[in-house]
Amino acid sequence: MAVAIAAARVWRQSRILGQQEQQFSSLDDKPQFPGASAEFIDKLEFIQPNVISGIPIYRVMDRQGQIINPSEDPHLPKEKVLKFYKSMTLLNTMDRILYESQRQGRISFYMTNYGEEGTHVGSAAALDNTDLVFGQYREAGVLMYRDYPLELFMAQCYGNVSDLGKGRQMPVHYGCKERHFVTISSPLATQIPQAVGAAYAAKRANANRVVICYFGEGAASEGDAHAGFNFAATLECPIIFFCRNNGYAISTPTSEQYRGDGIAARGPGYGILSIRVDGNDVFAVYNATKEARRRAVAENQPFLIEAMTYSPSPVLPPDPQSREPTLTWGHFPLCRIGHHSTSDDSSAYRSVDEVNYWDKQDHPISRLRHYLLSQGWWDEEQEKAWRKQSRKKVMEAFEQAERKPKPNPNLLFSDVYQEMPSQLRKQQESLARHLQTYGEHYPLEHFDK
Amino acid sequence: MAAVGSAASWLFRLRAAGAEGHWRRLCGAGLARGFLHPAATGKDAAQRRQVAHFTFQPDPEPREYGQTQKMNLFQSITSALDNSLAKDPTAVIFGEDVAFGGVFRCTVGLRDKYGKDRVFNTPLCEQGIVGFGIGIAVTGATAIAEIQFADYIFPAFDQIVNEAAKYRYRSGDLFNCGSLTIRSPWGCVGHGALYHSQSPEAFFAHCPGIKVVIPRSPFQAKGLLLSCIEDKNPCIFFEPKILYRAAVEQVPVEPYNIPLSQAEVIQEGRDVTLVAWGTQVHVIREVASMAKEKLGVSCEIIDLRTIIPWDVDTVCKSVIKTGRLLISHEAPLTGGFASEISSTIQEECFLNLEAPISRVCGYDTPFPHIFEPFYIPDKWKCYDALRKMINY
Repeated sequence: MAVAIAAARVWRQSRILGQQEQQFSSLDDKPQFPGASAEFIDKLEFIQPNVISGIPIYRVMDRQGQIINPSEDPHLPKEKVLKFYKSMTLLNTMDRILYESQRQGRISFYMTNYGEEGTHVGSAAALDNTDLVFGQYREAGVLMYRDYPLELFMAQCYGNVSDLGKGRQMPVHYGCKERHFVTISSPLATQIPQAVGAAYAAKRANANRVVICYFGEGAASEGDAHAGFNFAATLECPIIFFCRNNGYAISTPTSEQYRGDGIAARGPGYGILSIRVDGNDVFAVYNATKEARRRAVAENQPFLIEAMTYSPSPVLPPDPQSREPTLTWGHFPLCRIGHHSTSDDSSAYRSVDEVNYWDKQDHPISRLRHYLLSQGWWDEEQEKAWRKQSRKKVMEAFEQAERKPKPNPNLLFSDVYQEMPSQLRKQQESLARHLQTYGEHYPLEHFDK
Repeated sequence: MAAVGSAASWLFRLRAAGAEGHWRRLCGAGLARGFLHPAATGKDAAQRRQVAHFTFQPDPEPREYGQTQKMNLFQSITSALDNSLAKDPTAVIFGEDVAFGGVFRCTVGLRDKYGKDRVFNTPLCEQGIVGFGIGIAVTGATAIAEIQFADYIFPAFDQIVNEAAKYRYRSGDLFNCGSLTIRSPWGCVGHGALYHSQSPEAFFAHCPGIKVVIPRSPFQAKGLLLSCIEDKNPCIFFEPKILYRAAVEQVPVEPYNIPLSQAEVIQEGRDVTLVAWGTQVHVIREVASMAKEKLGVSCEIIDLRTIIPWDVDTVCKSVIKTGRLLISHEAPLTGGFASEISSTIQEECFLNLEAPISRVCGYDTPFPHIFEPFYIPDKWKCYDALRKMINY
């Protein structure tokens, strides 16, 4: 009996509720979900990701260095364009010499920037000198453009007594406080959320500064990249995310790195304004970065630039045997020309033909040279003289760097904290005592006393 | 019977659909108790939740820092954060849910007082929170990041260990993130189980370049947190969550600093040195009383306070005097920070030791839920270990 009464009470309550529910069953109501602003649809349809005709690639010059659309010509003055050219070629010369020096065992490791000089210089030129740079490891051209001396590049690679990094890191881990270039670290993509934090602080300080953050298309797979993009958008940070897509992460081609339309297509997913540019076109890189900078600072929002550079897809020239998808942009195969680093021999995963093909076909330096020649701002004489001069500068710096001693081994112990903890000081003293007895077994003669 | 059964299941569905208002009304009608809590009445109610395994012992009111106010632990944290944001215009606080005041109320009122650009929520992403915080600190601004539970700090491990800790060293002191402080609730709470009870200090102890600090009380917390925030090195500040409400004492309203890397001898003694940090300090205080009462043993109690860099000298000095050392922490025994202390002390004080160094710690298991009372290194286990040491 009690059960029946309870049941009746439940039934009566449900009728009351049912009447109240009728208020919600109108046909033309709008969705009010807090999680998305969208209309209803009554047809089941999955959105198709578009990778066949993906986000188009912005360019200003054709392969012969001719301006395609005059309204996109940045009309840069001669001095500036010559600085572009000299920065890129000096970097290239330094790369060749330091690469060789590693092969000869003079430095332990090196990473070249072959084919990506345009991305570094075009973007660096579009920034203010005080804009903060967070790089990954293949952005030496940014420092070169900011007039970082050859002596200091070499000092870091040799870990000698002039290295501002005090000999602590492997070669190419440059940093320069004066030039607002944050010291490189090896873990990939860790710089991305850091750059966002720095941009937030710049916004709060009303510094009128943008932060630029470079990374490769492989590093963009890391969780830190996702974190950085999302934070930049939600916290409205004045930051430029600059992705260098050279088609390879060591041996891993982009077909194994992602299935979407590259990195640029991810931007809109985060609410970020995005563009894809031809990384071999220094003016395209310049224009995109310049506009992104202007708006990032004015509007306090992030921008994503994906710069496509050289990276031979595994099917170039097309391999009829291969069943892999031909991921080319038009017939514009893109690739990293050099090996990933001196620890890498890319002939293991790319054919020599591919590399030569691209080296001869298209290169940011040769494209810019064509432009300079057509403007009458450069000629063969100047080219020859500059090649000689730049090589000489690099060789001099190189020889000097080789001759200098390494820093004092006491520098092994400092800067762990701002102040040296007492326990660490004891360890430092114990090494000193050890060297007194066993010093002959250590390369002390190469180190500063 | 069937009608009742189906009505009951209908009630479950209604609740699941989130019809809050309806649910409350039904509860009020007394239905909920009948259908959904069948065992609520009668003698089965014996499965009550345990009382705490410690009694918080407030320290005497501090006199040297001006006016004090009664505060619990979360209020003392809020006070420290308030002082920081008032003094340092670059300081910002961020993390999950900090804007409304935080899941433990540590940031209540701060957003209203200092603005939404200074106290703000981030997306749910610990690696992002710490990375973002590092970036702020690199520009020289003060970054105070919150990780909602220490159990969730691991996605940020790479940013902490590979980046924050090494920033100054690897750049040759060109760059640093010294103005970064990470705060996080820590330690057992009675019912937290695997993912709301962890004490991960040992993972970070192995990482030169950061400081790890754990307070035992509101007064200690405010002074130590202020020191962390002002310290020129990245710091992790673990807050014993079980003390957020349970620990109440007089805390100065104005800012003050308690030095880092200095252990505190909170009670002098002759026979045994007891070392702990955080909540466990209160456990060993009680053990010291038990030892005095039952064994006539005089204990010297040390609150380590900073895990790294730790105050080796204070612990050595004490062990040289007493000859016996017992270290206790909730974190699992193997690789726990007691191993580091034990190893160093036996190196430095070998000939002074009257007994092997004793470690009373959590077992080498994940932190269990229902078995918590058996898992934790409670006063009985510490007392028993102490007794064995005395009789060695």
